Amino acid sequence: MSDAEAHAFDADMRRVNRKKAVEGRSVIFKIKRCDGPGKPNRWESFKVPVEQGANVISSLKLIAANPITTEGTKTTPVVWDSGCLEEVCGACTMVINGRVRQSCSCLIDEYAPLEGDVITLEPMSKFPVIRDLWVDRDRLFNALTRVKAWVPIDGTYNMGAGPKESPDHQQMRYALSECMSCGCCLEACPQYNKEEDPEKWDTSFVGAHAISQARLFNEHGTGKRLKGERYDALSGPGGVNDCGNAQNCVKVCPKGIPLTESIGAVGRGTTVHAIKRFFEGKK
Amino acid sequence: MSNPDGPLQQHHFLLRRLHSLTGIVPVGVFLIMHLTTNSTIAWGGLNSRAHGDGWFDRAISTFQHEVTFINEAPLLLLIEVTLWVSIAFHSILGVYYAMSGKPNNGSYKYGGNTRYLLQRLTGYFGIFFIFYHIATLRWGWSFLVPGGTQWSHEYASSTLAAALQGSTTDGMQASGIAISIFYFVGVSALVFHFANGLWTAAITWGFTISRPAQKRWGVVCAGLGAALMLMAWASVIGFATLDYDKARAIEESMLSGEEYPAELHDETHAETAAVEHDNTDG
Repeated sequence: MSDAEAHAFDADMRRVNRKKAVEGRSVIFKIKRCDGPGKPNRWESFKVPVEQGANVISSLKLIAANPITTEGTKTTPVVWDSGCLEEVCGACTMVINGRVRQSCSCLIDEYAPLEGDVITLEPMSKFPVIRDLWVDRDRLFNALTRVKAWVPIDGTYNMGAGPKESPDHQQMRYALSECMSCGCCLEACPQYNKEEDPEKWDTSFVGAHAISQARLFNEHGTGKRLKGERYDALSGPGGVNDCGNAQNCVKVCPKGIPLTESIGAVGRGTTVHAIKRFFEGKK
Repeated sequence: MSNPDGPLQQHHFLLRRLHSLTGIVPVGVFLIMHLTTNSTIAWGGLNSRAHGDGWFDRAISTFQHEVTFINEAPLLLLIEVTLWVSIAFHSILGVYYAMSGKPNNGSYKYGGNTRYLLQRLTGYFGIFFIFYHIATLRWGWSFLVPGGTQWSHEYASSTLAAALQGSTTDGMQASGIAISIFYFVGVSALVFHFANGLWTAAITWGFTISRPAQKRWGVVCAGLGAALMLMAWASVIGFATLDYDKARAIEESMLSGEEYPAELHDETHAETAAVEHDNTDG
């Protein structure tokens, strides 16, 4: 099955599921739980009545209100992280039926249309678990500081108006600017492995999101002043060369950001940067 | 990636790019030349300057001619050692880099993810295959060859057929079938590894950026891969089904300076004459 077919199949399946969704049903949530960092994992199942338009977060709220497993044991409420509830903050990202996505936009009708259907929830596997479905995404933000994903405007005098921008270029940068640092691209990446030791973050793979953000700020009229430093960071261990070109990142990105194009662009940038440094660099 | 001051980290960029480069030059370029030469056993019949009355007779003499030409190349050992070192470098770093990934094809069944996994599996298998291939046919480790035969550049086709068939004059043996299948899988793996590596290298170096560009270059790489795959299969099938005695006779005559063995010439000439005779009658 090609990617396009698989994608159409997924979309079709969800549409079909939505149509055959049974009203007044209950579905089972099978949840991977963990009481805290370093604690063992366990699986617990909960039976949840499906309200109209229910999503994973609304179902988790019902579980929190009545934390009794399918076996009838009373347990602690399941912990999760969420923010905007409209798929723009990235906080509620988790692994649903084995694949990463935002849970707030995950409709129960599309995933479990019939009575007793099972939905599996797991925390993202590439970040340390704080509790249950809540993970610590610090390394993701650390990667943004590694590549200096900002515009340098601090100074002692007024720098005046920013540079002019063409509509085409603005459109190209807009697509990159939609990144919400959710972590989907990292969770699906076979080259991005869990690393709990912050000491090692600066030499482990930065991931597609940071490479794409480096490109975004390299394309900014003022931000490009830090281009050389960004390419230095991305040429080193854990930089763009650690990409294995599996291209899962672009497939799972909920914002459809052209991450693989950013990887190609930064690949070109580091190539040119290395040649320049070979002939001109002082180090 | 644990030691930040280690040589792998200090020269990270250079080593990564050298790993990518050696896969194309010299290893990939050599693969194209090697398969072109070897597949003469299938298409060498097209060579009108080759001696021989039948298609495969001309193919055998064309292949022998090519092998003799390569063996007379100046500084051949230097070329060989360059290739061996490049392959070893690409292999060792490749395994090290591949170990840093954790395939997740069960959860994410995308085409690109499948190619990612295949690139690593064909790499591992390819190292094993290349080692066996060079050890048996170049370094003469004949104890690894079923039938224990040695490859000789003076009897290029016949001794290669013997290595693939597991015997000299007795034709295909059971062990030969195993070796031939091993070769078939090995060359297929390496052709995929090269074609896919050429596609990803274009992203690594930054030649292809936009998705349409990556797709276009993908078509080019797939086309090259398909052509090389046909050449690779034709080579393996050609030598696995080769008539040892006939190839030997042609090689003997080429060695002794004759153009074509008289007995083969007479036989086929008589057949051709008979066909011509029939045609005139009709």
